[in-house]
Amino acid sequence: MGILNQLVMNAIIAGAAYAILALGFNVIFGITKFLNMAYGAVAVVGAYGVFLFCRLNSLPLWLGIPLAIIAAGIVSYLSDVLVFRKLRRRKATSLVHVVASLGLMFLLQAAIAIFFTSQYQSLADQNSPASVYAVAGTFITSVQIITVITALAVLFGLTLVLKKSAFGRAIRAISDDEEVSKIIGINTDRIISITFFLGGAIAGLAGILVGFDIGIFPTMGLIFLLEAAIASIIGGIGNVYGGVLGAFLLAFAENFGVWKINTVWKPSVGIGLLVLFLIFRPQGILRGVSKK
Amino acid sequence: MSTKNKWVAGIIIVAIVIWAGYSLFSGTGSPSQTSSGPIRIGFMGPLTGDEASVGENGLAAVQIARDEINSAGGVNGRQVEVIAEDSKCDPTAAADAANKLVNVDKVTAIIGGLCSSETLAAIPIAQAAHIPIISYGSTNPKITTAGDYKYRFVPSDNLQGKFAAEYIANTLKAKRVAILYCLSDWCVGLHDVVKQRLGELGVSVVDEEGFQQGAQDLRTQVTKIKAANPDVVYFPAYTGETIIGLKQIKQLGLKVKLIGADGWDDPKIPAEAGSAADGAMYVIPANEQLPQSFIDKMAKLVGGPQLIAYSPRAYDILKALAGIMQSVGANSEKINAALKNNFTYKGIADTYTIDQNGDDVTAKYIIKGYEGGKIVELGQ
Repeated sequence: MGILNQLVMNAIIAGAAYAILALGFNVIFGITKFLNMAYGAVAVVGAYGVFLFCRLNSLPLWLGIPLAIIAAGIVSYLSDVLVFRKLRRRKATSLVHVVASLGLMFLLQAAIAIFFTSQYQSLADQNSPASVYAVAGTFITSVQIITVITALAVLFGLTLVLKKSAFGRAIRAISDDEEVSKIIGINTDRIISITFFLGGAIAGLAGILVGFDIGIFPTMGLIFLLEAAIASIIGGIGNVYGGVLGAFLLAFAENFGVWKINTVWKPSVGIGLLVLFLIFRPQGILRGVSKK
Repeated sequence: MSTKNKWVAGIIIVAIVIWAGYSLFSGTGSPSQTSSGPIRIGFMGPLTGDEASVGENGLAAVQIARDEINSAGGVNGRQVEVIAEDSKCDPTAAADAANKLVNVDKVTAIIGGLCSSETLAAIPIAQAAHIPIISYGSTNPKITTAGDYKYRFVPSDNLQGKFAAEYIANTLKAKRVAILYCLSDWCVGLHDVVKQRLGELGVSVVDEEGFQQGAQDLRTQVTKIKAANPDVVYFPAYTGETIIGLKQIKQLGLKVKLIGADGWDDPKIPAEAGSAADGAMYVIPANEQLPQSFIDKMAKLVGGPQLIAYSPRAYDILKALAGIMQSVGANSEKINAALKNNFTYKGIADTYTIDQNGDDVTAKYIIKGYEGGKIVELGQ
């Protein structure tokens, strides 16, 4: 049953990428409680960051990649400081935040398209393509293996930060009740901005990994956003473990859902799964955070 | 602002909008064509997005033709002006582009689009304004019956699909074929024609997998095709998804002959896909041996030797239009009548014979392929 093994492998690979995206998305959502539509674009910033540093300026990968991740984090940080914080000051509703994030998404996409053209580009050097490994009758490349390992590492690292550090406690406090957190002395604005940086950096990391796997173009952020949002919602929005579970569930549903039917239906499987969850279990697999 | 002032402001704004709309769009029906001043010809093609390298190449060829016409004195003493609009290989953008060319720029004729989805979206708009639209790269069979003001200097995919299917069956001697196709008009048209012809030739289509235009991940499709064990995979797709598909086919260990369609004539594909593209081949309409002066001018304008197959046809369209206008004047209806009247034209790429439906009936195809990061000719 060669195809079964490969489908499982494909689902694991796709799930890993979705999981990293969902982790960053959930970290930001948990603290701000709105659907940040610019999130996908921040991931693309990370990917193009590597393109700029490593392909156009010939920096080595070990330098270019961390720089790009930090760049993505900074873009996300600035989006909070310049836009969302001001909206929070005015007690704007979630809808206003979503619309603002939509505008940011277009801004980032257009800026990338202006500087780098909107054509498909390769991130990896095509003269040394990723090595392919055969595992139990399936094929996986080195980039994809790194993606899976990274997903686990980010999950582990994020859990550590959230559970053990003072910063993590502050995030959970703000996520629970922002007003009370201010009263007990937490600098909510600063913590929120740093959380945006963290979420953006994770997004950038995901964008870089996917970019190395398949290549980059400015509008790929839309797919990132969609997968991250669906995975987070079905997993329990705001819950980081839920996001990872949701990501793998989504990936498996997409890959197996079209096993026996024409793969043109692949995108609708993801949406269909979302609709099912919203009807029958809107809180997600693991209960997520709710808006007070 | 008091309520009364708000009402006044609102009425003034509505009046301005209505007046602006009227003056912009009052040209629909018959464009006000002047008999002096530059002749305006519109160009539609993907200047940004996935197919930008192909669209820009076509625009460069049209600009060369325009410069040659103008330096020879123009058409009846009038200079030719080419107004380019970006249609992004997307029907919505193409409709916007056509609207602007027809209603705002009031062009006499339109050269375009490249992608079939662009042209199909633009044809009704040009038709409503009685402006002839001539495509240099849209091959979908549906275009044949799409209107009375549309023409093309490329053969329909009814012919390309037949050629591809016959090549697969007779030359590649395949018994089992899988089709991996994008879900845009052009790919679907080819899929339908090839599947039917293969069926007539007794070759079985063992798997068909579709994907959205611009898809990033074709692994599921490739996995299923691999399980169906074909001899040949027919893969009509645009540039970005072809690069991704070729790479993933290699990664997943699918070892078959790959054959694509005319959209593969983009040097970006073998350049970006590298060794994953080696051995893949595709069908493309043959061009005559192009004059060296044209090749040199193109090289200078685009900054390299890239010459995509449809660009000399775009050049030919402008030259043909200039020839027609020389005799009947810069009048859209008369140009349209001339094109309908058993029109033939000997251009640098081909000798075109336009039939009653506006299709080019001369169809000669060749096979090209990718080797070592470049496009090579493989003959027939």
